[in-house]
Amino acid sequence: MELWIGALNLGFLYALMAMGIYITFRIHDFADITVDGSFTSGAAVAAVIIIAGGNPLIALLGAFGVGLLAGATTALIHTKLNINSLLAGILVMTGLYSVNLHIMGRSNIPLLSEVTVFTQIAKFNPGLPQEIWYTIVLTGFIVIGWWLVSLFFKTDLGIAMRVTGNNPMMAGAVGRNVKMLTLLGVALANGLVALSGGLVAQYQGFADIGMGIGTVVIGLASVIIGESIIKSRSVYLRFLSVIIGSVVFRFMIAFALYIGMNPIDLKLLTAIFVLLTLIISKAVAKRPAKRESPRKILNSLRKAIFNRWSAAVVFILILILGGFLLFKSGGSHQKIKIGLVQFTDNGLLDVTRDSFLEEMHRIGYINDKNCRIYVENAHGEIPVLNTIIDKFIRDDVGLILTISTSATQAAINKVKDRPIVFATVANPFIVGAGESDSVHLANVTGVYGGVPMDRTLAIVNRFFPDRLRIGCLWDPSQANVVFNVDNLRQELRNYPQYHFEGAHASNSAEVYQAALSLVNKNIGAFVLPPDNIIYSAFDAIVKAADNRNIPIFISDVERLKDGALLALGYDYTSSGIQAAQMVARILKGTNPAQIPFEKYTKLTIGVNLNVARKIGIEVPQAVLEQATLVIDEKPVTRGEPKRLALFQFSDHSMMEECAKGVLDELKTSGVLEKYNITIERKNAQNEFTLGQSIAQDIVRRKYDFIISLSTPALQIMAQANKKIPHVFGAVTDPYRMGVADSPEKHLPQLTGVATFQPVEEGFKVMREILPRAKRVGMVWNPSEACSEACTIIAREAARKYGFELVEATVTGTSEVMDALNSVLDRGVDIFLTSGDNTVLIAIESVGEVLKKRKIPYFGNTPSDIYRGGLIAVGADYYDVGREVARVMQKVIAGADPKNIPIQDCVPIQIGVNLALAEEIGLELPESFLKRVARVRR
Amino acid sequence: MIKIHNLHKKFNPGTVNEVYALQGVDLDVRDGDFVTIIGTNGSGKSTLLNAVAGAFLPDEGSIVIDNREVTRKPDYARAARIARVFQNPFAGTAPAMSVAENLHIASLRGCKSYPKKGLNATRMQFYREKVAVLEMQLEDRLGDTIGTLSGGQRQALSLLMAVINPPKVLLLDEHTAALDPKSAAQVIKLTKMFIEQGKLTTLMVTHSMQQALELGNRTIMMNKGQIIDDISLTEKKQLTVDELLNKFMQIRKQEQLTPELLAELKQMYA
Ligand SMILES: Nc1ncnc2c1ncn2[C@@H]1O[C@H](COP(=O)(O)OP(=O)(O)OP(=O)(O)O)[C@@H](O)[C@H]1O
Ligand SMILES: [Mg+2]
Repeated sequence: MELWIGALNLGFLYALMAMGIYITFRIHDFADITVDGSFTSGAAVAAVIIIAGGNPLIALLGAFGVGLLAGATTALIHTKLNINSLLAGILVMTGLYSVNLHIMGRSNIPLLSEVTVFTQIAKFNPGLPQEIWYTIVLTGFIVIGWWLVSLFFKTDLGIAMRVTGNNPMMAGAVGRNVKMLTLLGVALANGLVALSGGLVAQYQGFADIGMGIGTVVIGLASVIIGESIIKSRSVYLRFLSVIIGSVVFRFMIAFALYIGMNPIDLKLLTAIFVLLTLIISKAVAKRPAKRESPRKILNSLRKAIFNRWSAAVVFILILILGGFLLFKSGGSHQKIKIGLVQFTDNGLLDVTRDSFLEEMHRIGYINDKNCRIYVENAHGEIPVLNTIIDKFIRDDVGLILTISTSATQAAINKVKDRPIVFATVANPFIVGAGESDSVHLANVTGVYGGVPMDRTLAIVNRFFPDRLRIGCLWDPSQANVVFNVDNLRQELRNYPQYHFEGAHASNSAEVYQAALSLVNKNIGAFVLPPDNIIYSAFDAIVKAADNRNIPIFISDVERLKDGALLALGYDYTSSGIQAAQMVARILKGTNPAQIPFEKYTKLTIGVNLNVARKIGIEVPQAVLEQATLVIDEKPVTRGEPKRLALFQFSDHSMMEECAKGVLDELKTSGVLEKYNITIERKNAQNEFTLGQSIAQDIVRRKYDFIISLSTPALQIMAQANKKIPHVFGAVTDPYRMGVADSPEKHLPQLTGVATFQPVEEGFKVMREILPRAKRVGMVWNPSEACSEACTIIAREAARKYGFELVEATVTGTSEVMDALNSVLDRGVDIFLTSGDNTVLIAIESVGEVLKKRKIPYFGNTPSDIYRGGLIAVGADYYDVGREVARVMQKVIAGADPKNIPIQDCVPIQIGVNLALAEEIGLELPESFLKRVARVRR
Repeated sequence: MIKIHNLHKKFNPGTVNEVYALQGVDLDVRDGDFVTIIGTNGSGKSTLLNAVAGAFLPDEGSIVIDNREVTRKPDYARAARIARVFQNPFAGTAPAMSVAENLHIASLRGCKSYPKKGLNATRMQFYREKVAVLEMQLEDRLGDTIGTLSGGQRQALSLLMAVINPPKVLLLDEHTAALDPKSAAQVIKLTKMFIEQGKLTTLMVTHSMQQALELGNRTIMMNKGQIIDDISLTEKKQLTVDELLNKFMQIRKQEQLTPELLAELKQMYA
């Protein structure tokens, strides 16, 4: 019964909020999401007034007032500053988060031992079960609230407000101040929402900064469900429908729990349910509207039942009721029943739960055999927590085990008549479970413990006996975390040589930034107390600490392998085990009042030697001896497989040749077998973005060696990689690439082979074959670094051999032909392309034009002669590749690239297309032909 | 009653969508005048009415109503003296609310709306009597929402709403344009009746030359944001619909003429 009664009560409490949502969204057509913030504001103000000793009714008034203010702010931002209503709501909601934290002064205020409206109501209980008595009082309260609000909207002012929302233009025309009335409506709505927040806080026994999350959705769902059940134009019926919607929504959740559905699916279910309702009520709305008047309330209620959809809902409700009765009559075995509830899906909580269940099993409480353990998880939602506890009471469990602070807080507030054992609670005293280990609530006991900051610091001190700046990161909105940090600061007083630096992060996206800020303050170590937010972005901290090799001390052993140096924390299995033993004692008859709170007994200390080695820190022997867990993967030995990435920028023939040289040389040298190396080829397909992704991937996947071929490949790789030994090749001028200043002075992780194009050699050949030629034409793209280098050399060489260079520049391949024609129009005897990739792409077309004009075409890649070039004087890239491979061998053998100077390697190779020479009538001297390595006939 | 001097209004100034809707309107309407306004589409008739009602503030010029300077007052502050009926039957009523509530809010025009229950049995009886006058079979439908009424019923109701708390000035913007001929005739009949009964100063925009000639004691013609003709009652009596139409066609032609010539012609008409 408690499950449904509890759901009814929650439904009533949230109904005020839903009515507020109805006023903004439906009456004023104002999509207001301020409510996510104002709900919490109401709870916060009510809680603060109550703990200050204020009358709980005054507290509710205060809640209403703060809601009015919040709503008015949103409305003012909207009407005065002309900012979209949704945006205005988002702004105020965001701001309210900080305001609420300020109001509360911390993230959670327990009201357990305070005088609340509910403790007052309980005083007048004529002897009914508590929740039922609440239901009766709340029913009266909600009826009054319903009547008042509905009545208000029937007054002249209320009618004016409705007109304003319905037709603002007409409202203005009949003398209504639309902005004023909107302000009033939004303020009133938020007042109701905050009032609801204040009530909920008193009902559940605490206010929490996260209470309001999702309020809009719950409210809208209630409105929509209500509208689908009762369709009426009467103001009274419409507000009634909202209340019913709110109750049905809570019943849905209770039902889902009742049938054992995982609450994790609840949100999806809600979304589907609301969507269905929307679709169906749209279809229904298409029917002509029925006549209605306030006097026909009963009549329309009857009609509403005949509405197909509402009939379905009523049917479900009947089913629930039926099922409940069935269960009630059939489910009264004499087994021990235990309800276990955890607040969220968090590693520690899961460990606690599992070790509890295991220990229970071990000491003879076997689930479904001699006892029944209901295991529930609220997945982080406080209202669900309440419903779960109601369900436990309905199931008549003999004992409740709560895991986490929130679950404990909710349970001890609600349950007074049966034992509660808590586990994995940092500080049970701040939630009001007791005053000391032995003086505590009569039905409550459990296992607790903050993180042993004293022991953590003692270990830090073994590493750093002298001065140290300690960096600490935390989310200030979590009460537990703040408690731990305060604890840490407290303990730091014993270490005057340590200096504390703190930084906040309120979500995981902020963690990296916050960690970096600490790193920049020159901290010597991170000490991180447990914090879900911070730990969820642990990788970001490792990344921030990595640059300066800062060691990280944490309290979660699970995180050790992710890059922390040391982890010291309680072993939460001991929390579950100790809790199980307490439960056993209670089940055997010990009064929980007689069982003192216990601290966890088991401590774990983990050390990651890999990290220690990486950041160059010596782990003291004493620490190693204490450690319960040591991670130590020795650096990979020679025999282990290694990977070499052969990264080329495109499959240009020159690079293919070079790659072939690399592969042949590496294979024949035997270095691959000797060091167990596999080669993986990567090709950027001539695309920079693809090249960058490949490079990043190579770095991320931690290849052991890299060879890059071509200038862009070198540039991209040098940018992405700072660690992996890297040998480059097929690069004209590495000294212009920013990777090296001289052969000896270069980036530490790389070295390689420079192959200056033998441009001068080309001019020498030109002179030899064409003694009378004067003008050499050239088209090139200034944005290609390599091409620019060649052009500069070409200008020099042209002068040296008595030529005049006729240049034209292009920015892309499409311009090449025009540039060529412009050069030809100026009259040239020879045309030269010196490794310009833009022109090389169009080399066939260029060759075609030159052939027609009978102008000899010189290139500097030997393979040019196969694609339209006449004579190519260039480097033999196969040989270059082999040279690159030889450098790589040294690196593989253990040489540091830093110590290997960049070498020049220009194996000159000359190619001639004899057929073309004949076609354009060029005779070649025998002495020259003798030197030609490649001939195309 | 209404004194408009040198009124200017530009919409979306400085953008490609700039419209110079009112280009210096001068108009002096005496107490009890019933002025019909004609003019081509987009000539600024509705804009003029909106300016008087205060739907927006003019760029330049002044509006005095009932000896009160209202040029910079928002619509709700002028509503005590001005009531209006829109061309679109959907614009003048709150569709989700009942007939009685609409009438009630309209009868509060010019008064404050207090959180007190004003819509009581006596008021309901009063509204029932009022809607009976419309002869639209609305007597038993006071509880129904406006959304369920026909266009003619709505427009008749809008008219009733405009005069239920008698204003000084009534603004009618082609309020029969969207109606079938029968409903239109009924609404016009009601219009005449209400205006006579209340001796209301009225501005009525119409596209029907017939209406323009038959109704009111004065007709003004607008073009390109200016008043280009002002026809007195005596003149109107002689004018036939055809003649008025001719005048209209003339203006159409005038649009081709230079502003100087236009000014000349205007003088001629004046
Ligand atoms: N709110 C507005 N924003 C921009 N332009 C507007 C606005 N209201 C009117 N206009 C423009 O001002 C000009 C005059 O419009 P108005 O509605 O006054 O003409 P009208 O004489 O009533 O025409 P119709 O006979 O078609 O109703 C038109 O070009 C119109 O597009
Ligand atoms: Mg108009």
